[in-house]
Amino acid sequence: MSLQYFIRKFITLILTLLLITLLTFTAFTIIPGDAAISKLGTDATEEQVEALREELGFNDPLPLRYINWLTSALHGDFGESYQYSGVTVAELLTARFPVTLLLATLSLILILVVSFPLGMLCAMYTGKWPDTLINQLSQITMAVPAFFLGMMMTWLFGLVLKWFQPGAFIDPFEDFIGCVRYMIFPTIAVALPKIAMVVKFLRNSILNELHQDYVRTARSKGVRSLRVLYGHVLKNALIPVITFLAMILAEILAGSIVVEQVFGLPGMGRLLITSISARDYPVVQAIVTYITTVVVLINFIVDVLYQFVDPRVRTTS
Amino acid sequence: MKKQRNYNLIIGLALTIALALMALIGHFWTPCSPTAMDASAVNLAPCLKYPLGTDNFGRDILSRIMNGSGITYLVAVCTVLIGAVGGTIIGAFTGYFGGIPDEIVMRLNDVLLSFPSVLLALLFISFLGEGTANLILALGVLFIPSFARIVRSEMIRCRDLDFVRSAKVTGVGTLRIIFAHILPNSLVSMLTSAAIGFNNAVLAEASMSYLGLGVQPPHASLGRMLSEAQSCLYVAPWYAIAPGVTIILMILGFSLISEGLRKVQNH
Amino acid sequence: MAESLFQIDHLSIAFPEAGKGSHGLTMHTVVDDISFSMKRGEILGIVGESGSGKSMTALATMGLLSKGATILGGHIRFDGHEFLSMTEEERNSIRGNDISMIFQEPMTSLNPVMRIGTQVGETLQLHTALRKEEVHRRVLEALTDVGLPDPEALCRKYPHELSGGMRQRVMIAQAMICEPKLLIADEPTTALDVLVQQQILDLLLELHHKKNVAILFISHDLNVIKKICDHVLVMYEGKIVERGEVRRVLEHPQHDYTKTLIASFPEHTVSTVREIPALSLQHVNVYYQENPRALFGKKGRFQVIRDLSLTVREGEMFGIVGESGCGKSTLAKAITGLNPDYDGEIRFLADGRMVGSPTCCRNRKAPSNPEEHAGALNRSSLYRPQMVFQDPFSSLNPVRKIGWIMTEPLRVLKIRDKKEQRRRVEEMLTDIGLNPSYYDRYPRELSGGQRQRVSIGTVLLRDPKILVADEPVSALDVTIQSQILDLLLELHEKRHLTIVFISHDLNLVRHICSRVAVLYNGELVEMGDVEEVYRHPQHEYTKKLLAAAL
Repeated sequence: MSLQYFIRKFITLILTLLLITLLTFTAFTIIPGDAAISKLGTDATEEQVEALREELGFNDPLPLRYINWLTSALHGDFGESYQYSGVTVAELLTARFPVTLLLATLSLILILVVSFPLGMLCAMYTGKWPDTLINQLSQITMAVPAFFLGMMMTWLFGLVLKWFQPGAFIDPFEDFIGCVRYMIFPTIAVALPKIAMVVKFLRNSILNELHQDYVRTARSKGVRSLRVLYGHVLKNALIPVITFLAMILAEILAGSIVVEQVFGLPGMGRLLITSISARDYPVVQAIVTYITTVVVLINFIVDVLYQFVDPRVRTTS
Repeated sequence: MKKQRNYNLIIGLALTIALALMALIGHFWTPCSPTAMDASAVNLAPCLKYPLGTDNFGRDILSRIMNGSGITYLVAVCTVLIGAVGGTIIGAFTGYFGGIPDEIVMRLNDVLLSFPSVLLALLFISFLGEGTANLILALGVLFIPSFARIVRSEMIRCRDLDFVRSAKVTGVGTLRIIFAHILPNSLVSMLTSAAIGFNNAVLAEASMSYLGLGVQPPHASLGRMLSEAQSCLYVAPWYAIAPGVTIILMILGFSLISEGLRKVQNH
Repeated sequence: MAESLFQIDHLSIAFPEAGKGSHGLTMHTVVDDISFSMKRGEILGIVGESGSGKSMTALATMGLLSKGATILGGHIRFDGHEFLSMTEEERNSIRGNDISMIFQEPMTSLNPVMRIGTQVGETLQLHTALRKEEVHRRVLEALTDVGLPDPEALCRKYPHELSGGMRQRVMIAQAMICEPKLLIADEPTTALDVLVQQQILDLLLELHHKKNVAILFISHDLNVIKKICDHVLVMYEGKIVERGEVRRVLEHPQHDYTKTLIASFPEHTVSTVREIPALSLQHVNVYYQENPRALFGKKGRFQVIRDLSLTVREGEMFGIVGESGCGKSTLAKAITGLNPDYDGEIRFLADGRMVGSPTCCRNRKAPSNPEEHAGALNRSSLYRPQMVFQDPFSSLNPVRKIGWIMTEPLRVLKIRDKKEQRRRVEEMLTDIGLNPSYYDRYPRELSGGQRQRVSIGTVLLRDPKILVADEPVSALDVTIQSQILDLLLELHEKRHLTIVFISHDLNLVRHICSRVAVLYNGELVEMGDVEEVYRHPQHEYTKKLLAAAL
């Protein structure tokens, strides 16, 4: 793998991050509504507002403010929240981050563990009943919004069967096992529609590869069909799946925002929603930066992974 | 090969047309007024008078669904239109001519596309404020990249094909080559992507309204109804099921159409 | 027949018809009751055009038919075993071990993500119990056998790092590593250049002698068959219509189809050519830009044509020959204005006067007022050469009807009247040997030959003086080729066209052109009257090319 390629991708990564934070920063400064007023309340005096604006640096020119924000952000300082006075954004985030991370990780594991065997099963039995069954089920599952699934699970497992108590989230640092037990339900709600998507994508990718010429060559050498699938087709078929999984990972993040709301999880998603409603821009800005970083990093990792998986990329770059 | 009926397309179209028809009727006539509250009929289970039951304010759920799906469809159609028109124009020119503008626009596109649409819609709403019009604007702009990408890749695929070269040698003008020769080739992929776009729009609208950032009360919308239903999930689960199933059917319709179109394309 | 190695008896293969009747499955027979046998160490050729069933026969032998295909009846016997009644397991032990196969497309027939060494070794691993080091040693041996240099380094490479010819050698090494008794070669040289083609054929013959392997050689090209086979079968529409010794079949063809196959080049009676230049190139250098639109990444400008001068006379059929990559297509693009990146002079002439050049009529936007515009269009644009492309499948817009496509040149010529447009297009359809009802058809409803007719017709509606034909028949079956050539020659005569005929096929050029230019690595190495060049080639390259092709 070439170092040059790595460096070029890394520079793109940094540039994208800068671009997006600059865009959101600019957007938040030009939107109507004065943050100083929203922090002090409408009955504040002219002088108070002016003093606060000066203190928060609102009167500085935009580029300077962006650079100031950026330097403190790089030190982990995102300022103070407007809605919870006296609490720093960083404190808010560190409290909420583990919950979202746990949900995303559990969902990803569930997706990988379930969808790969199913996808392979479909490809092995193309056109026969296991394939048709899984295919039809995926088609329907894909159409179910994660938050509706969450609501139905809350109703069935929480309220009717009483397997868990909706809304009574257990802090992972106090009782990790209990927390995971609670998390099972939101995890399924996030993962199920995505599992359907990955199964479908994997199946199509494998079927597409099965039509390639090299498969015929392999069979002409006397390779058994199962070995053709595992030894020849799978590696080729997985290449596009990597990109798809990256997309899914980003969507898990998005899906979890809404699902956190359904299950009352104190994660980043809920923080984002309340902050948007309360116009708590420092928090929103910080979460946007965080999510951007994650998404851009995922894409970076995918690019690097491609280098290892696909020999064609390796030499042409 | 035996010729197979394209069941995906047929079922998808039937489902979508039926739901759209219901929404259209719901715009002019509903069994009860979607906003009329009946204090004597709160949280009623489905019965003859209220086929899908009533909500916590005693409003008829069926009427609210008929009325609310109209808004959902309106949002979906408008956003896809904005996305398709904007995306076609951007994709056609950047794809055909290439160069620096293409590079910049596509980098931006790639970044936007790697973000889930619900997330971006959330951001836009946080800049623009809540409301239906803002939601349409936000989602519409967000759909531009996916259409731009399709049109662009069709332009790139075709611009060096012999039929385009032969048009060039004949002396056909550039605009005519782009819009009369190449663009019709992307029709099926555009339709497929429009179907996926509808799908995403319905989902995004429902999510946003569920979060209280999209359609505002007293208007009914499917996502809004779900968010109201959550508080009375135990006493009236049907209040959540009805709009939820409607959303599923809407999305299923569109995704079956896109699946069917893909089969047409591969043929 | 006791010593026959391989025998096919009354084999019939069919596909379910893609017809309207969805219940009653009608079968479309692609291989119709064929029988033949091969002795040990024999080379048998099968020749026929696409759809004649020759590849189906080969795939059936390997048990590799696609899902839809059904074997209606017959026997395939190999080395005393009945192949069709075997289990999949038994077949796998024969495939790659006793019978192996090489395919047409060297670019896609190897697994792109598997190293060469692993791919070649896999065959051996499957059929023997050899240890890893032993397998590796044999792989190196096999790669050396097929004439590949530095096999140790090659083992670690991936297919995309090799050229087409090298990949085909790898394919052969892979097929030969278990020393099979029968090698099936399905158009193994079709996708390759003439000289590489010759090398691969030599290699096959050499392996045949060394390892005494029987070869079933399938091709559409009688010339290739002639070089390698002892006996030949001619297949047409699923049947074997003729068989025998190659020499005898070639000299005394019995069946009508074989006759057209052999005499497939129309003989061109050279028309009286006035010695007036119609197209003149003076010291032309043409460049090719890789990724011209890319902002970052690889951006290269290569010189493709070097200092080329030639003159094409009015009403002449002028041939340009060369291998792929020699720059002949780039030259065509420069002449037609598709590639403006050239220096030197390209001029179009009428009655000896210059009337235009590719760049002057390329940019139609330049004149600002409309009258000037129309004037510019009338003068120089009229003399702009038109072009016929190679691939009949990509040269017609798939979403537009034939009528629309053929009207396009009329729109450019500012003929706006709908009735007049339709009249002219229908007239042209008749001229090119198609029914006027094709006006309302889509390109996908037409065969390759018909599409090429439409391409020619479209171009002629633009009323050109000079026509550049870039490999116009290479993608077509031999019998169709001759029909299209006939049409081209007829139109050439009738409309007094000047045609620049670009081809890799030396035989073809010899038959229809009056003068020829040979391109090699972007340079003109030889030019002159066809017979003169073919009888007394001066340049080394021309000699090699002729030796390989004739």
